[in-house]
Amino acid sequence: MPVDAISLAVFRSLFESVAEEMGVTLQRAAFSPNIRERLDFSCAVFDAGARMVAQAAHIPVHLGSMPASVEAAIRAFERFEPGDVIILNDPYRGGTHLPDVTMVSPVFAGAQVAFFVASRAHHADVGGMSPGSLPLSTELYQEGLIIPPVKLVEGGRLSRSVFDLITANSRGPEERQGDLEAQLAAQRVGARRLLHLVEAHGYDALTEHANALIDYSRRMTEAVIAAIPDGRYTFEDALEGDGQEARRIPIRVTITVSDRSFAVDFTGTAPQVAGNLNAVEAIVRSAVYYCLRLLAEDDLPVNQGCFAPISVTTPSRSLLNPDFPAAVAVGNTETSQRIVDVVLGALAQALPDVIPAASQGTMNNVTFGGTHDGRPFVYYETIGGGHGAGPQGDGLSGRHSHMTNTRNTPVEALEYALPVRVLAYRLREGSGGAGRFRGGDGIVRGYEFLAPARLTVNSERRIYAPYGLRGGRPGLAGRNRIVRGEGEIELGGKAEFMVEPGDVLWIETPGGGGWGAD
Amino acid sequence: MFTGVDIGGTFTDFVAVDNGRLRIHKQLSTPDDPARAMLFGLAELSGGDLTAIARLAHGSTVATNAILERKGARAAFLTTEGFRDILAIGRQNRPRLYALQPQLPPPLIPRELCFEVRERLDFQGRVLKPLDYTALDATLDTLKAQGVESVAVCLLHSYANPVHEQAVRQRAVERGCFQPEQIVLSSDVLPQFREYERASTTALEAYVRPVVGRYLRRLEAALPPSLPLSMMKSDGGTFSAAAARQLAAHTALSGPAAGVIGAFHLAQLAGFDRIITLDMGGTSTDVALCPGEPVLRAESEIDGLPLRVRLLDIETVGAGGGSIARIDAGGALRVGPESAGADPGPVAYGRGGDRVTVTDANVVLGRLDPAYFLGGGMSLDTAAATAAVERLAGLLGMDVESAALGVLEVANSNIERALRRVSVARGHDPRAFTLMAFGGAGPLHACDVAARLQIPRVLVPRYPGVLCAFGLLVADVRLDYSRSVLGPLTAETVQALRAHINDLEAEARAALDAEGVAEPEMIFRPSVDMRYQGQAYELSVPYGDDLAERFHRLHEQTYGHALRDRAVEVVTLRLEATCITRKPALEPELLEANAAPSARIGQRADGVAIYLREKLSPGSAFHGPALVVQLDSTVYVAPGWSARVDAYRNLILEPA
Repeated sequence: MPVDAISLAVFRSLFESVAEEMGVTLQRAAFSPNIRERLDFSCAVFDAGARMVAQAAHIPVHLGSMPASVEAAIRAFERFEPGDVIILNDPYRGGTHLPDVTMVSPVFAGAQVAFFVASRAHHADVGGMSPGSLPLSTELYQEGLIIPPVKLVEGGRLSRSVFDLITANSRGPEERQGDLEAQLAAQRVGARRLLHLVEAHGYDALTEHANALIDYSRRMTEAVIAAIPDGRYTFEDALEGDGQEARRIPIRVTITVSDRSFAVDFTGTAPQVAGNLNAVEAIVRSAVYYCLRLLAEDDLPVNQGCFAPISVTTPSRSLLNPDFPAAVAVGNTETSQRIVDVVLGALAQALPDVIPAASQGTMNNVTFGGTHDGRPFVYYETIGGGHGAGPQGDGLSGRHSHMTNTRNTPVEALEYALPVRVLAYRLREGSGGAGRFRGGDGIVRGYEFLAPARLTVNSERRIYAPYGLRGGRPGLAGRNRIVRGEGEIELGGKAEFMVEPGDVLWIETPGGGGWGAD
Repeated sequence: MFTGVDIGGTFTDFVAVDNGRLRIHKQLSTPDDPARAMLFGLAELSGGDLTAIARLAHGSTVATNAILERKGARAAFLTTEGFRDILAIGRQNRPRLYALQPQLPPPLIPRELCFEVRERLDFQGRVLKPLDYTALDATLDTLKAQGVESVAVCLLHSYANPVHEQAVRQRAVERGCFQPEQIVLSSDVLPQFREYERASTTALEAYVRPVVGRYLRRLEAALPPSLPLSMMKSDGGTFSAAAARQLAAHTALSGPAAGVIGAFHLAQLAGFDRIITLDMGGTSTDVALCPGEPVLRAESEIDGLPLRVRLLDIETVGAGGGSIARIDAGGALRVGPESAGADPGPVAYGRGGDRVTVTDANVVLGRLDPAYFLGGGMSLDTAAATAAVERLAGLLGMDVESAALGVLEVANSNIERALRRVSVARGHDPRAFTLMAFGGAGPLHACDVAARLQIPRVLVPRYPGVLCAFGLLVADVRLDYSRSVLGPLTAETVQALRAHINDLEAEARAALDAEGVAEPEMIFRPSVDMRYQGQAYELSVPYGDDLAERFHRLHEQTYGHALRDRAVEVVTLRLEATCITRKPALEPELLEANAAPSARIGQRADGVAIYLREKLSPGSAFHGPALVVQLDSTVYVAPGWSARVDAYRNLILEPA
């Protein structure tokens, strides 16, 4: 079947609906608020060569990092059988950080593997030294159970041993069980649908159109790059501390745009750090792809073609290309946001009338857990903040930006499920940077603990505020503190803390940068 | 005489059933005063005697438009101290994943009109901090001074205990600041946990209630007092104007509901009770699955704002007759969601539209015939449409016909995706269903869409263009009640549930009595939203013995697994109260096998036969390719398909 403009559109819809149906299944069957309420997952279809063909993503940080999972699965196994499901979370073998658990299933056309379907979901706890598995760690082993690519399902038969081993390592074994079952259901749905497509359209037509779709997105991305003035653009910003010591950790980028190629070089970025801020290369790629995706048409299909014109260079043993077993727990959430800030900062020099000022630049990760009434509890959430203002107007207030878009957990659901009371959840007035257009305001969220708990906070932009552009002022940096009785304890950007009943945690998230002089 | 009236932006449609026969009427709408078009049409239908009308149900987009156009009431929002920005923060996610500067639609209630109340409950409804009346009084005075028309009140955990919300209303009334109906309590509107969704639903109610109230007053003033007016809800039921004044937001998503109700009723009469509806209009297509009955869902939104009223489970896709085709920068053909609308409309309308639409592709392919379009009442510029499609074909490097077919193929594949979402993705095999096609363009696309999903049969009702008005005629009165009952499933919980059900039934019975339906037949269906402890979402289980086992089974059926050793929680008790209305009887006619010779009014050079719908008698049968033309739509019978007319004058299309 020859590829034309019409069949291209039709097959795009077919491939995307596979990923979409997987996502619907996963969300509906999942247990944890993190997947059901916050939608912290993505699903995608890959060809036999591990090239992404289509995806249904809720989380941009999953965008460019899933192909690495499929590659790792292929590398780990010489052969697959129909009905196999490979599970993994090892950041150094196809993962990003340990809570993001990925499953990969081969889909067969006759005796050969024709496609893969994959799903990735953030599991609220995979063990490690603190509840929520985002600890202030210094090596990967402290962050939780490391799952290399292994067959969770072999030829259609679930390996109970692997399954039980994984759930036993979580602080919420029942919830893990439910979420893993849901992810398996999504894999089944995706594999079955794709198999139907192979049967209905034939392997050849399907692969030809997969190739054509990838080619299509490559052309579209090249057109985006061609519209950026050729040149070299450099920008630097910094993280504030790796959880071990507070210090400036620079991320530096030089982007070289030449006709249709886009080379991103992070030379000049800090060496790898002792703490949990290191980001594996898959995350760096995701963040860079995301930035270019922002410049493309709204409904450009995201697949391998989007990545083709882009090259990414990271110095070895650096923050953005660490050696095993460097700690990586929040490289996924915090470092990824700063990569976006530097890439967009560099692009703003090329496209000064297009690029907005910096958004909050952090996800404000709050995790806590303990035991209450004899039952263990664990909780993870992230908090929105101010968006950068830009040529189109003021920035949004109190929303997630860039590499995440997870929803909040309702206060009423939180108070029902956990020994905590939320004292306030409101906009942080005046925190957006001033300018011709104002940055969006951050959020103030206060938690009163009703039981002792081990609290971990991983946040950034508590010192170096989100930048303004074109004369706009920076947004206000964030702040974390504990109020205990009459006293107040400043937590800094990253902290682990044993809270007592009556303690109140106050998180104030950063405002977005302003755009244009007043 | 029973009458259904569907008030749309352009046309007001009427359907009446009198002595077992259907009659239809179409009237230009009068948006400045919808009553004018309504009265004029009713007079037409009833021969000037409005007392001949026994029941009048109508559907209106007054609430929908007030929200979409931000022309609602000046409303304020009151909430618990610390949470002023619930409405602004929402679920803290942005509407689009990949946007340089994501934008939100303007809020219904500006921040200046959002206020905090000093009080606090815990999740069990216990008072942690009593209501501070001094501060409340000052706020109420401010609201009054600000000229606020309605106030949404949503306090934390009010689903568990409405005491503070009710105290706010009482104070506002006692202080002379507001009338009771101006204060909208979240514990009345949606007594369920999850504060943002409840706040949003409450704010929407406060925003549209005054508007809907004014609209209904005007309408009622124009109608004889003996003629009770009822209104379509989002769940496909109707309620009286009096009830609509208190639950105005329940009408905001009612637009496509009546069509599904009408379609299902007709399909059942015709002997098909598993249908998928395909309602294709100018800018979009609505599809819904009815596996034995229409399906409801509890989660919905309007303009990005959660509106937690029960509504028919309808998927909408931006593919309609006016959807624009274009080639994008990567060389793929796109159709929609951009639409040429009614103005300028498709190129073939000759009103200045110069971009190829789905309608133009149908004109070029001869599926819309200029000689018979809308009964010949509107001309089609075939030459202009052809020239436009030719330009597109040149860019695609193909001939005109292939390009036109391509436009339809892309549009139909978008529709297919929506159909898959309502069927396959929810565990239903479309091959076991009948596709019910209506709306102006549904019958044109039905054969192609059915073939894509191997749906074995298409049903086209006698009047596909006014099916919504028909749905209004046959809709039952329906009222919904809910109560939050958050807690583990224990023997005490079950007892408490029983007591709540009795309370709610008494409340529902009184309300249905007030609806004034003659010879009422009431049905109460209690159900319980349940989940496993630790799960974040619920399944709605019909109430009955052994709730836990019912839940396990439903969970297994829905998600493929049950966790029988896990504790089960109850979250919300619901009661659906239905009053079955007397349906206008449609009489089947005798079938007389024939090849429809008198209805066959032409045979085109391309082999397509043309049939006049109004002359097709029950029992007529013929083969595609054929067009069946009628005032409100055109039916395309594809080559390889056969068509027959059933005893209710539905067209039934099947692959030959």
